[in-house]
Amino acid sequence: MTRLLLSALALATIAAVPGLAQDTRIDARLDPATAAEVRSALATARNQGLPLEPLIDRALEGASKGASSGRIVAAVRALLNNLSRAAQALGPDAAERELVAGAEALRAGADSATLAAIRGARRGEPVTVPLGVLTDLVARGVPADAAREAVLALARRGARDGDFLALRRNVERDIQQGAPPAIAASVRARGLPSTLPPGAPGAAGPGATTERTAPAGTATPPRP
Amino acid sequence: MSEELDPVVARAVAVLKAEPDFGAGFDRRVMDAVRAEPRPGTVSAWWASLRRPREVSISPLGAFAIAAGLVALMLGSVIVASSWRFGIEQGAGGVASGGGADLRPVQFVLIMPEARTVTLVGDFNDWEPDGLPLQRSAAEGVWSVTVPLAPGRYRYSFVIDGTRWYADPGAPRAIEDDFGRPNSILTVGEQGS
Repeated sequence: MTRLLLSALALATIAAVPGLAQDTRIDARLDPATAAEVRSALATARNQGLPLEPLIDRALEGASKGASSGRIVAAVRALLNNLSRAAQALGPDAAERELVAGAEALRAGADSATLAAIRGARRGEPVTVPLGVLTDLVARGVPADAAREAVLALARRGARDGDFLALRRNVERDIQQGAPPAIAASVRARGLPSTLPPGAPGAAGPGATTERTAPAGTATPPRP
Repeated sequence: MSEELDPVVARAVAVLKAEPDFGAGFDRRVMDAVRAEPRPGTVSAWWASLRRPREVSISPLGAFAIAAGLVALMLGSVIVASSWRFGIEQGAGGVASGGGADLRPVQFVLIMPEARTVTLVGDFNDWEPDGLPLQRSAAEGVWSVTVPLAPGRYRYSFVIDGTRWYADPGAPRAIEDDFGRPNSILTVGEQGS
């Protein structure tokens, strides 16, 4: 009876520790061999002080999409590598969401120097949205150098998150209307700050920093 | 005052009074065993007392109470583990109420008249295909759900009729495509609100 109680107590303790409880999702949704590989990557991340959730999310995404073990492990390890590079570029105080955005920007083709430059230009402000917009611009065909210059230009002028999101929307609109991506990014980066009120913390109104998905087939509208 | 014993009783008394034979060196063995015992109050004595087996008596009601407590603890841990990251809690009206985090309601909308079911999957719900069902509104073919999200960048997709993955056509496409089914990107800013 005592042994049974102690075993139950040990199980409850394991479940009560978030870092360990998360691993149960891996075991529940991946085959044992894949789960072991993912746990190895998680151990590496833990040792490096990197967030575990993005890696778990990537593994669970692969499981939900029916990906092979090899693809899941490769995706997790690639993300681990980019998270590590992003952590080095953004510094020890980077938040998890900043590291995720940084890893994505690196995956898109940005280099570590770009991440560090954006971090420096923001002077203590979060860099999640600038890095995300950088990635989105590259994904829309803007050359990495042009995207970097556009985002850095806004960051150096004290733009807020809503301004970066507006830059992306405007560039997308210009590209849809036929503008070359590099030129669209350059023009919009030069033009947007002039719309900011003098000394204003940002042109974005309440809620404008949060995108809202749009009905299928329509442009993404800003939040009211 | 003396009393003469019955012969049978006298033999029994004699047997009981006889000292048992513990063999040569019994006293030395006893003293060696005593010296081997840890001194009271020392760490080794404390450790030895922890390792010493004991019998524990517990009533059926007590065992039931302990088991119920453990189950409650485990269930609570699972719930916390699944929601701690973003503090997502679907209360009345889908309004976030989690943990003081800076949550903002984000509405996901999809027009898909032919769909029978639409669910939302992404980084915010462990990519569980059954996680967040969209509700069909009064307008024909318009599906929507509102999710409270903390600032950050999220990858997500819709699942149509439980089988077909469908990227949001009204949102940026994720640049990575590790698993052959493209995702959309949602960015929730931290400033300006």
